Amino acid sequence: MNAPLPIYLDYAATTPVDPRVAETMIECLRTTHGNPSSINHDYGRRARALVEKARTQVASAIGARPECIIWTSGATESNNLALFGVARFHAQRGRHIVSSRTEHKAVLDPLQQLEQEGFEITWLKPGADGIIQPEQVRDALRSDTQLVSLMHVNNEIGVIQDIAAVGALCRERGIAFHVDAAQSAGKLELDVESMQVDLMSLTAHKTYGPKGAGALYVRRKPPLGLRPLILGGGQESGLRSGTLATHQIVGMGEAFEIARRECAQDVQRIAPLRDRLWQGIGGLAGVELNGHPQRRVAGVLNVSFHGVEGESLQFALRDLAVSAGSACSSASETASYVLRALGRSDQLAQSSLRFSLGRFTTADEVERAIETVTREVARLRALAPRA
Amino acid sequence: MTSEPSARGEYAGAVIDHFQRPRNVGHLAAARDVIQGSAGSQAQGAWFVFSARIAAGRLAVVRFQAYGCPHCLAAASWLSERLVGAGVAALAAWRWREAAEALQVPAAKHGRLLLLEDAARALAAAWKTAPDKPG
Repeated sequence: MNAPLPIYLDYAATTPVDPRVAETMIECLRTTHGNPSSINHDYGRRARALVEKARTQVASAIGARPECIIWTSGATESNNLALFGVARFHAQRGRHIVSSRTEHKAVLDPLQQLEQEGFEITWLKPGADGIIQPEQVRDALRSDTQLVSLMHVNNEIGVIQDIAAVGALCRERGIAFHVDAAQSAGKLELDVESMQVDLMSLTAHKTYGPKGAGALYVRRKPPLGLRPLILGGGQESGLRSGTLATHQIVGMGEAFEIARRECAQDVQRIAPLRDRLWQGIGGLAGVELNGHPQRRVAGVLNVSFHGVEGESLQFALRDLAVSAGSACSSASETASYVLRALGRSDQLAQSSLRFSLGRFTTADEVERAIETVTREVARLRALAPRA
Repeated sequence: MTSEPSARGEYAGAVIDHFQRPRNVGHLAAARDVIQGSAGSQAQGAWFVFSARIAAGRLAVVRFQAYGCPHCLAAASWLSERLVGAGVAALAAWRWREAAEALQVPAAKHGRLLLLEDAARALAAAWKTAPDKPG
């Protein structure tokens, strides 16, 4: 008999596909095989209609016009397209970019590549609470700054940056503003107009949609110059060539439609579960919450455990599917660069776990998680020599 | 080529067994017939403290405390069992490779087992230098 699966508390790594999304995708796969670019016949036109419906659904979720949505394979590609696309297109205008040390690797790595190409990056350091103050951005801007890139919600600690304030700073200076919103879609209200965002990276699989589908919002009025990364068939206004993955896109559209409709009730249900989890775990001695205690999304709780070695903690908690720092980098066994940027020691960063809750998390799962964490942390501490 | 268990995020059965049910955990209070040896620190990622009671020239009771990864905790537990009945020469001669082989500890963790060996040596040194060399 197979062992029961661990309790899933890793929604910030990826969410389960909502059954309503899965149904929509299956229906699409069963009935729609046309190429959305083949609009000279009904098969293609039918696929095109579904793609455009999804484009409208995603656009509506972020307060954008549908023609501003470019389909991609996910937030990593969206970030690459936004950063390389804008920086290289506008290189003559300036070669200075502002970003932060706690961005996702899908932003850090492209920016480091741009550094090698002669761009200069100002890396802002967040406060101990993980927040970048808008004044830090303002003070970093220069006459040759052409791009600012900030994530809306940090993937490891869940803190929320003041995107609207930074957007205003950039807009009044004519500087392009890119926001990685992979972790905020479906968790916070998004409006690219009021936030004055020029580029926004989105992904489906963190919003109860399928993996392998994403989008980049690109401001159209006034048009923002962008150099494509992928050349070929000229799809997506020439900005992202390649046959569109109709069923993936349909799934993303449905996921974002549900998110737009149910975001408030999701938050209302998840936030008390997260608070209960913290109440239960925070009662242990030698436990610290990472990131701002209030300015955070409902589902994320990042906690450091003093006096417990990180790998043993993870193994002891294998009945819980949680992440040690960022899921993408934990395999490297290096301490989380996000937690280190917040001033945590390497050792404490390695003894930190991210619990992330979501739409399908239950109160019973949270209670069992509290019980498991409390028991195992006490057990490991009892094994350790007295410091 | 077969990769080592922990390279796939897994651990050998013996490691899981000792991690789940560590043997001889604890610390013996200082006494004429009790010796102690330690090595490592939290900052080094591995820390081992052994205490043992000597009787008739042998380690009669061994206790350990450890901080570290599952391999470290399992190795300390495993060694605490192996040392019962050992004389000072066997204790001083113990080498980390024995634990590495028994528990299939991956190469990346061998440095931590060196700290375990240091703790065993410290225990042997304490035995040799004990004022009245019990037993």
